[in-house]
This record gives sequence, structure tokens and C-alpha cells, in this order.
Amino acid sequence: MSEILTVTDLRKVYGKGGAVTRALDGVSLSLEAGEFVGVMGPSGSGKTTLLNCVSTIDRPSAGSIVIDGKELTKLKGKELAKFRRERLGFIFQDCNLLDTLTAYENIALSLSIVRAPAQKIDKRVREMAEFLGITECLNKYPYQMSGGQQQRCAAARAMVTHPALVLADEPTGALDSKASSMLLSRLDALNQELGTTILMVTHDAFTASCCRRVVFLQDGRLFLELHRGNDSRKVFFQKIIQVVTRMGGGMADVL
Amino acid sequence: MFSKLALRNVRRSFRDYGVYLLTLTFGVCLFYTFNSIEGQGAIVYLSQSKNPMVDAIMMIIDIFSVFVAVVLACLILYANRFLLRRRKRELGTYLLLGLSQGQVSRLLFLETGIVGLISLAAGLGLGVLASFGMSALTLSMFEMDMSALLAVNFSPAAAGKTVLYFGIIFLLVMLFSGVRVSRSKLIDLIHGERKNEVLKPRPLMAAVVQLAAGVICLAGAYAILLTFGMALAVAVPFLCFPMLGLGTAGTLLIFRSLSGFVMKFVQGHPGVYYKNLNVFTLRQWLSKVHTTYLAQTVVCILLLLSIGVTASSVGLNNTLSAMTDGEAPVDITLWDYCDEESGESPMDFPALLREGGFDLDVRLSGHSSLILYRNDPEVASFEREGEAPVQAVLSVSDYNRQLALLGQPSIALAPGESKIVEESPVNGASHWRYLIVEDEAVQGLEVSCHCWSANYAGQAEESERMIFQLIQPYDNTRSIYANSRLETYMDVMGSKILALFLGLYLGFTFLLAAAAVLALQQLSQAADNTGRYSILRRLGAEERQVKKSATQQVALAFLLPLALALVHSVVGMKAANDIIATAGRVDSAASSFVTAGVLLAVYGGYFLATALTCRRMAKNA
Repeated sequence: MSEILTVTDLRKVYGKGGAVTRALDGVSLSLEAGEFVGVMGPSGSGKTTLLNCVSTIDRPSAGSIVIDGKELTKLKGKELAKFRRERLGFIFQDCNLLDTLTAYENIALSLSIVRAPAQKIDKRVREMAEFLGITECLNKYPYQMSGGQQQRCAAARAMVTHPALVLADEPTGALDSKASSMLLSRLDALNQELGTTILMVTHDAFTASCCRRVVFLQDGRLFLELHRGNDSRKVFFQKIIQVVTRMGGGMADVL
Repeated sequence: MFSKLALRNVRRSFRDYGVYLLTLTFGVCLFYTFNSIEGQGAIVYLSQSKNPMVDAIMMIIDIFSVFVAVVLACLILYANRFLLRRRKRELGTYLLLGLSQGQVSRLLFLETGIVGLISLAAGLGLGVLASFGMSALTLSMFEMDMSALLAVNFSPAAAGKTVLYFGIIFLLVMLFSGVRVSRSKLIDLIHGERKNEVLKPRPLMAAVVQLAAGVICLAGAYAILLTFGMALAVAVPFLCFPMLGLGTAGTLLIFRSLSGFVMKFVQGHPGVYYKNLNVFTLRQWLSKVHTTYLAQTVVCILLLLSIGVTASSVGLNNTLSAMTDGEAPVDITLWDYCDEESGESPMDFPALLREGGFDLDVRLSGHSSLILYRNDPEVASFEREGEAPVQAVLSVSDYNRQLALLGQPSIALAPGESKIVEESPVNGASHWRYLIVEDEAVQGLEVSCHCWSANYAGQAEESERMIFQLIQPYDNTRSIYANSRLETYMDVMGSKILALFLGLYLGFTFLLAAAAVLALQQLSQAADNTGRYSILRRLGAEERQVKKSATQQVALAFLLPLALALVHSVVGMKAANDIIATAGRVDSAASSFVTAGVLLAVYGGYFLATALTCRRMAKNA
């Protein structure tokens, strides 16, 4: 399979002179098309910084990020915005739906932004909504929907443009367990059935256990990589827990 | 330390809160301009000629100034409250760092003081210019050339008064800020940014119905106005109130429902709906309607009033000339009422003037005497059945002499004929009916009075002063009246200038208030929108598009009231067409355009300042 994302020796340094913080200290990582990868690590391990760099929100201090054959660190201004809207999809913890728009319009807006032809928008929005099971709340405003519905709506918004890579930052962070399972099963289905490549940052071992592969970060470095292989989700969850226990204090809070 | 912090904060205010400073500066400028009218050309001229209106104008402006000051004080307090709300977090941080509430109050005190000084200085500077502009505007309304009176002048009294009033307003603002800080809780200040916004779903069909109702209301109001004409529709209460009621209700409904209607309409056109950020912009507009539609209605009505004042000053100018001509067909008329009992011979005005050294041949271009007789039905039954009574009887040769003075063709009467004339040939008796009869017919009628009329050959004011001086000694002994065109003109001019000053003063005050409220509303909304803009940016929307959406939102809020006000005033002008169509005087039209231009400049200034700040807020989101 072809590589969608290749991160090579990525470094991000905050501060100057003596008081520097190395948020990322030489991380290398690659994702193939159709992979579902989780990133775990304690607070301050660099998860979010990695995601921000990959999502072009932040710029790395050194190293390279190649998505779909494009070197991100060389893109600027308009090109960056174009790349972001056409090749990337985002799902955030606080789902970030526009509160003045209905669910339908939230999803349609990301298609307007990529200048999709108007007559195709309706069909694509409805398809994606059906896939994520939010057809009945398409005409509702975000505050009229449950947290799980909002998050699935955000997922639909991220996926509807068929991005090369979907970046999810703690998507289940604000959800209860039932809504989490629902969202995760839909993400899994998107990955399996539509072949969407997903990179998900999470704190939660259970959430991570639905990924095909989990990478662990600690102090800005890649600590360990776990492949699910043919394990059942339960077995994979146990393995993740073991790693978390080995990593010690830093992750204790997540159990 | 404190002053350094205060200065730094004010510098930042310059960038972020341009609207606040703009409001203060315009407020000071407005206040100074109208309080300095004493030194402005028109008033200088009116007071030189001892016009009694001058005192009235000054007094009324004084009274209204208090009212305007109250409006401005409320406005500034509102703007300040908005500023404080935006700075909650910052103030909370000061308190968290250990400053006492007294110290924070002192900081705000200093800041208000600095802002006050800057806006006072800028406003007074602008006021001197505006005062010059007002002077030019009012002088251009006189029919004579008055450019000699036009000069830049600074009135220390008006400046002092402005400083006093605004000093009090700033003190109030300081007190208000201090009280607010000392009464607020730290937790509220720190979490000041968080807020719950309540959005209610509103069916779009309701908007369509409301818009239809609004259009019907406006159509009703327009129909009343156009059918009955401006004069009738305004004067008759049972026409006026329904018209104003329907007009206001229609305007209100339209502003309330237009966004919903446009939304409904655009939803049927996916090509427009899904273009760029249109969905977002439209939804933003729709969601803010309930906070903006009232302000928009008020702004629309105030804009209409401002345009109305301008237009009617044109109309007034023309009516004024017509009135002066009707009241005073000649430059001066002296009346000498005869006392029957004393049997005195009538005053010989030409002889009196000549004795006093007044050269009739040089100073007058023409003069004539008239004898007015009382109509006596017993002697001569000139009065006709069913007609209004005749106030004076004239002999035809007297009348023709007078007509010659007026430069009109003489009339001829057949033997035994008589003629009713309603146009007064002399000053001061404009609504009289005159009966013109043959010279023989007046014999035996009782003499009512002698009238002597004259036109000046130039140097009108000096000649008039001399005449008044010469007849003054007879003031107490005989019933002599003088009726001069200049006096009539001044009287009318005085009321006209009073109306103009008041109209502009109040018009500008309300315009300022409305525009500022609209601007502050937009700014606070823009601040709430920053989160939404950052989402758009994450979705990959281009910077240009985000800024465009921000500008469009401000433009919708500002330009819709202006557009509707223009529609209203076009209809209003059409209704008042008979008044305005005849007022084809170029100079008054030019001054009206200048006034309209200044109105638009103030409103446009607010629009620009708001749009720029909102764009900047969107950019930094």
C-alpha cells in the first residue's frame, strides 16, 4: 500500500536560549493508506504538538512531514489553506460545530469551502449523514443534539470532503461511554468500508483499542508501537493496558 | 507605574475601540458646534440687525443642549459598559495579581481621564471646523451676499461649556467604572469570556409571513401619504397616526423578517446558498436579528428624519421668499392712521423725510402715497352679498400709481365699475381685500389711513435706519407704523434658522447615538464570533473569505437601515413634491447636498470604523 503520511525526525522546540522545551524530539512515523492509528502518551508527551504539526496548525522546528507526496513544511499561506481544506479532515474534542448553523449546513459548509459543485452537495451530505446515523437530526442546531450526535456530525463534516487523512484529537474526550462506543464503531466502519486513513490522539486505552496500530509517545520521543494484528479488541486492550502500566506514573491517571 | 499602564491601555484602546473614541470626539464636536452659534455668521448678522429671534435661538439651543448632553452621557456610559465587559478578563487578572479594587478603579480613572482629554482636544478642533461649515451653510440661506461674515472663529465660552459638560460626563463615567469594578466578583471577571448563548429555532415560513405583513403595512402608509399629500397626511391626526404607526410597524417587521426571508429564498438556489461562506454569513445574520432589528429600526427612522430635515430646509428656503414677497411687496411702507376726533391732517412723509435731510431722489428708486378709505355701505354699497368683507377702498388712480411703483401694468375701470383685489400693494396687510373704485366714488368715504411706500435705491440698511430715526419722534403722538421688507425677512429668517439649527442639532445627536449603538452591537458580536472564525479557518477557509464574511455582516447591519430610509424618503419627497419641485434654487440645493454629505460621512465613518475593527478581530481569531 502507498504511504499517506510520512513524518521524519520531527522536532518542535518552544522557548529560546537556556529555557527550551522539546515538545517533539525526533519523532518518525509513517501511515499507509487505509490505516487507523492511535497516538497515546501522558500529558506533555507531545501528542497534541504532533497532531498540530501534521494538521498544519503549527509549524515544526525541524524535520519533514509529507502527506500524499506533498512536503507540508514548504507550503505557505493560500497553498496551506488549500491543502488543509482539500486533503485533511479534523475532529476535535469539543467538536467545534458552528452553533449558528444546522447539522446539515455544518456538513455542507465544508463542501462549500472546497468549492464542490452545488448540485452534488445535497447527495454527499445525506450519504455521509446516513453512514454516521445522524439523518434524523440534520435539521437540528448543535445545541439541540446530544454530545454523541454532535461528535458524529463533526466526523461527518471531516469525512464528507473525502480527505486523504482524518485527524482526530481526543474525539471521545467529552462523551459518555455509550456515545463513545457508537462514535468509535462508526469511525471503525468508515476506516474499514470507505478506507479512510485516520490518525487519532487519545488518552483513553479503550478508545485506542479500536485502532489497528497504537504508537506511544513519551517526552517527545516514540516510546513503543503496538500492532493489533489479528487480536480481538479485548486482547488488544489488555496489551495496551500493560504498556501503560510499564510507562508508569505518567499514564496512571488514565486508568 | 499606574500612569504607564494606563497610557499603554489607552494606546491599545486606540486600536481596538476606535468606535468609543469616535463617539466621544463626534459628541464633543457636535456639542461645541451648536453652542458656538453665537459667533457664527448667520447669528452675527441677525443680532447686528437686532433680531428678537436671536435670543430665542440662543435660549432654545441652551435648553436643548442639556437634553443632548443627557443623551450623549447615556451613550458614553453604554459604550463604556461595553468596553468594561470586553475587559473583564484583564481586570480580573489585575485583581488576581493582587491589585486592590481601589487601585484598579484608580487605573480606570486615569484611563478615562486620558481618553477624555484626547477626545476633548480632537473634538474641539473638529468643532471649530464644523462651526465654520455651519456658518457657511446658514449664510448661504440668506438671499444676500454675506461672505464678509464668514470666518473661522473660536468661541472660548462654548469651549468652556463643552469642557464643563463633558467633564461632568467623564466624571460620571469614572464613578460608574469604579463602582462596577468594586462591586464585581473576581470569579465573574475571570470567567467573563464564558457565556451561554441562547439560540431559538425560528421557522422560516414565519419570516416570510412577517415580511409580507411588513410590506403591506408600508404600502398602506405610503398609500395614505401619496393619496392625501404630505401637508394633509401630517396635519390631520386620524391620517397622521395610522400612517406613522403603519410605517413604523412595517419597518420593524421588515428588519425582523428580511434575513429569514432571504434565507428561505436562497435555500431554493443551491448555487448561491453553497457559494463561498454564504451559508455561514446568512445564518449569522439570521441568528443576530433579534438583537439588532430594534436598533436598525431606530437608525432607519433617525436617518429618515435627518434626510427630512435637509429636504425641508430646501422647501423652507423657497416658502420664505414667497412669504416675504406676499407680506412685503415693497421695501418699506409707512402707515399713518388718522384720528377722526382730532381731525389732524395726514402726515406728509416725503416732506418730513426731506426736512430731516433724507434725499428722496438719491436714496429711493421710487415712492408713492396712497389713501385708504373705510368702506361705508351706507354711502356706497360696494360690499357684495355673500363675500368676505372689504378692508379698504382705493381710488383707481392711487392704485395705478402704486402699481407703477411695483412695476406692474395699470388697470382701467369702466364708468361705474369697481374691482376687488386680493393682492396687497403695500406692506403689512397681506390678507386684506381691497376694493378699487373710480376716483369720484371715494368722495364722501371716511379716510382710514395714509400709506407711503418706497423702494430703496441701494444701501437699504442705512436708508432704513435713517427713516426710522426720522419718524421716531412721532411714535407717541401719532399712530404711525412702519413695515419694512428687511424686518419681515429677518423675522422669517430667524425662525427658519432656528428650525434648521434645532433640526440639525437633534438630527445629528440621534444619528450619532444610533450609529454608535449599532457599531457597538456589531463589535460585541464580532468578539463573540472570533471562535467561529477560527473554526472556519481550521476547515480551510481562506483568510480573504473569512474577512469578507465579517465585512458582509457589518454591511448588512449598517446598510439595510440606510437603504430603507432612502426608500422612505423618496416616497416622502414624492408626496412633498409640490413644495420641493418649485424650490429650484441652486444654492440651497447645494447646501442640502452638503448637509446630506456630512450625515452620510458620520454614518459612513461609523460603518468603516466598525467594519475595519471587525475584520481585524476576525483576522486575529
